Amino acid sequence: MWRRQGFYGRGVVIGVVLALMGLAALALPGMATAQKVAPINIVINQSPWFGGFRGLVEAYEKQTGNKVSLDVHPFAGTLEKQRSSVREKEGQYDLLLLNGSFFVEFYAGGFMLPLNELDPSFQLDPQVATFDDTPWWDPNRKVVNRQTGKLMSVPINPNIPLLYYRKDLYDKAGLKVPKTFDELLANAKKLHNPPSTYGIVQRGGRELTSVTYDFFPYLIGHGGSIFKDEKAGDFTVTVNTPEAKKALDFYLQLAKEAGHPQTGAQNQAEVIQNLVTGKAAQVMLVIAAWAQVDDPTKSAVVGKIEFAVPPAALGHKPGPGIGHFLGAIPKNVPKDRQMAALAFLKWFQTREAQIIYTKAGSPPVRLDVLNDPELNQKRELRWMKPLAEGLLTARILWTVTEGAQVSTVLDLRLNQAVTGEMTSTAALNKSAEEIYNIVSKAGYKTGKLPDLK
Amino acid sequence: MAKASEGMERFWRTFTVAPTVVIFLVLTALPIASLLVMSFHSVKWVQALPQWTYVGARNFQALPQDQLFRDGTANTLLFAAAAVTMQMILGFFLALASSKVARGTLVYRTIFILPILVPGIVIGAIWKLMYNYDFGVINQLTGLLGIAPHNWLGQKATALLSVIVVDCWHWTPFCFLLLLAGLESQPADVYEAAKVDGASPWGELLYITVPLMLPTIIVTLIFRLIVAFKVFDEVFLLTGGGPGTATEVISFTIYRRFFTEDRVGHGSAISIITLFVISTLIVLALGAARRRGREA
Repeated sequence: MWRRQGFYGRGVVIGVVLALMGLAALALPGMATAQKVAPINIVINQSPWFGGFRGLVEAYEKQTGNKVSLDVHPFAGTLEKQRSSVREKEGQYDLLLLNGSFFVEFYAGGFMLPLNELDPSFQLDPQVATFDDTPWWDPNRKVVNRQTGKLMSVPINPNIPLLYYRKDLYDKAGLKVPKTFDELLANAKKLHNPPSTYGIVQRGGRELTSVTYDFFPYLIGHGGSIFKDEKAGDFTVTVNTPEAKKALDFYLQLAKEAGHPQTGAQNQAEVIQNLVTGKAAQVMLVIAAWAQVDDPTKSAVVGKIEFAVPPAALGHKPGPGIGHFLGAIPKNVPKDRQMAALAFLKWFQTREAQIIYTKAGSPPVRLDVLNDPELNQKRELRWMKPLAEGLLTARILWTVTEGAQVSTVLDLRLNQAVTGEMTSTAALNKSAEEIYNIVSKAGYKTGKLPDLK
Repeated sequence: MAKASEGMERFWRTFTVAPTVVIFLVLTALPIASLLVMSFHSVKWVQALPQWTYVGARNFQALPQDQLFRDGTANTLLFAAAAVTMQMILGFFLALASSKVARGTLVYRTIFILPILVPGIVIGAIWKLMYNYDFGVINQLTGLLGIAPHNWLGQKATALLSVIVVDCWHWTPFCFLLLLAGLESQPADVYEAAKVDGASPWGELLYITVPLMLPTIIVTLIFRLIVAFKVFDEVFLLTGGGPGTATEVISFTIYRRFFTEDRVGHGSAISIITLFVISTLIVLALGAARRRGREA
């Protein structure tokens, strides 16, 4: 009798435990599917979207029980940490968040593992934006190309510049959101009232990829480019075309007629400072900075900023520059850690994870999340629609291994044009000559246009 | 017998000095040798492996065409000369004034040396805010005098000067401390004799203090010149080398070429040249100090 009762008792206990496990599995879908994997180490830069990524990692750890360590550094320091790690016999970091300006050197140097070598069935989720084919690398032709390349990474952050404009000032002046550069200039001039308000604040400083990144939407938006056709392997330097000159002249005109009096000394930090203190009527700024403008502890213009796709010249498409980050796995870490990094990437690209990511403060990379009607109703996420729209025509700055050298050239010459040390023609001709020297020395199929007169 | 003991002594001398020599070779000579080797190569990464290609003196030959190297060298020389001269003069007169004060020495000396204790990154942040065109305290103060705001770090004419001012604020206390120590160790009887002979304060300074202080002045000057030639953090934080190349300095060029652009051969060549120039200056300065010492 006792034995029988004991049998029933144990049965009840087992039943309750199983039921609880089932409930837990229903409540936490991540936990139901996730398996325990090795701890991973990620190197990340202290950027405006870092808070969102940290929130996402915390959610991942909670849901899966897997451990993720974040090693946080300034932007420039991160690049050096990543280089050092992949060049060691065994790397320190299991997942590298590669910046859009420098990722090619990691692909081309043979440091990163094609993701399908780890898991042949792995695919980039069709809803994840593809950022001008940058997740794919064709090692034979040395180009990024979705058709011929191998999947090397998963986009982690969708940084592109958007137009941040003061809705209150626009309404007061009866202005419309600019679609063309001429409209942008006209609006900026109307709102320009220095020193209390600048019509626009541009990022014309010489910091690494500062003025270069800021000028890029103007260059593409005027039909210009840095190289002729990188995806097809044609690296003819096209930075000194009449279109590029038109773009630079417009950029300088904007600065002169409606910009900050010291545009040549404005880098990202100063642009954000001008925006959040209410000095800038509009700026073109990476979307990752959105959280700061609505943070009452950092901003004097909470709720007053609206977002739009960067304008373009009449007859051209907008060309915001992709300044994104790509999550890639190095070859020189043990297999269990590579698998753990891939498990993180698989989870990262799910819709559920991307919603958590958005709510934690970082822009998502999934288009269905960016276009989600319910999320788009939220006032604090009013940048999502323009971001989704901007991603459709966004372009990568360059896809050469020598990206940092190209950036040094453009940062200096464009800054010299902004500060009046060089004419736009001289700055573009000099840039073309120096970039040509870099790519021809590196063995690319390249060429040079005649100098602009 | 005497020869054997001499040999033994030489052996022990060599044996005891050897560890120091080995440590010196490993820590100093080896990295420099490695840098030298690198400067004659071009390094490329293929299939995650470094490919070293011997390029002879090509990296050195390319330096005159490198605008950042040219401007960086010129700016560094100007920066070092101007900043160190100002710091030495200020430091010397502050030390002279302080040596005459008898009360409250602990308080004012502590205040004077505070800037050396502040980390470079904090100094950069403080001064960047102070120099800010729109919100900086300097423009606010000049505004009270009716002067229009000026972009101290963004204008070619004032950018390098503004960085020199920050460097002076940072390093004058160092000169002050060393020179004060030198002044306080001067023999009092020489000054007493000068007073008896009726020397004026100016004559005392010119004919007694300065000549006696010369070894200290030269040592301080050498220390400061070495650090001034390596200036990096102030430029990195305040201007990033701009506007244009107005504040480009050689350490920043090395950082950019070597680390950011990953051109280790080219970066090594710049480093070797810089090392050579600084070493030559030190040797010349030490030679001058020795000659002065002998004359004294």
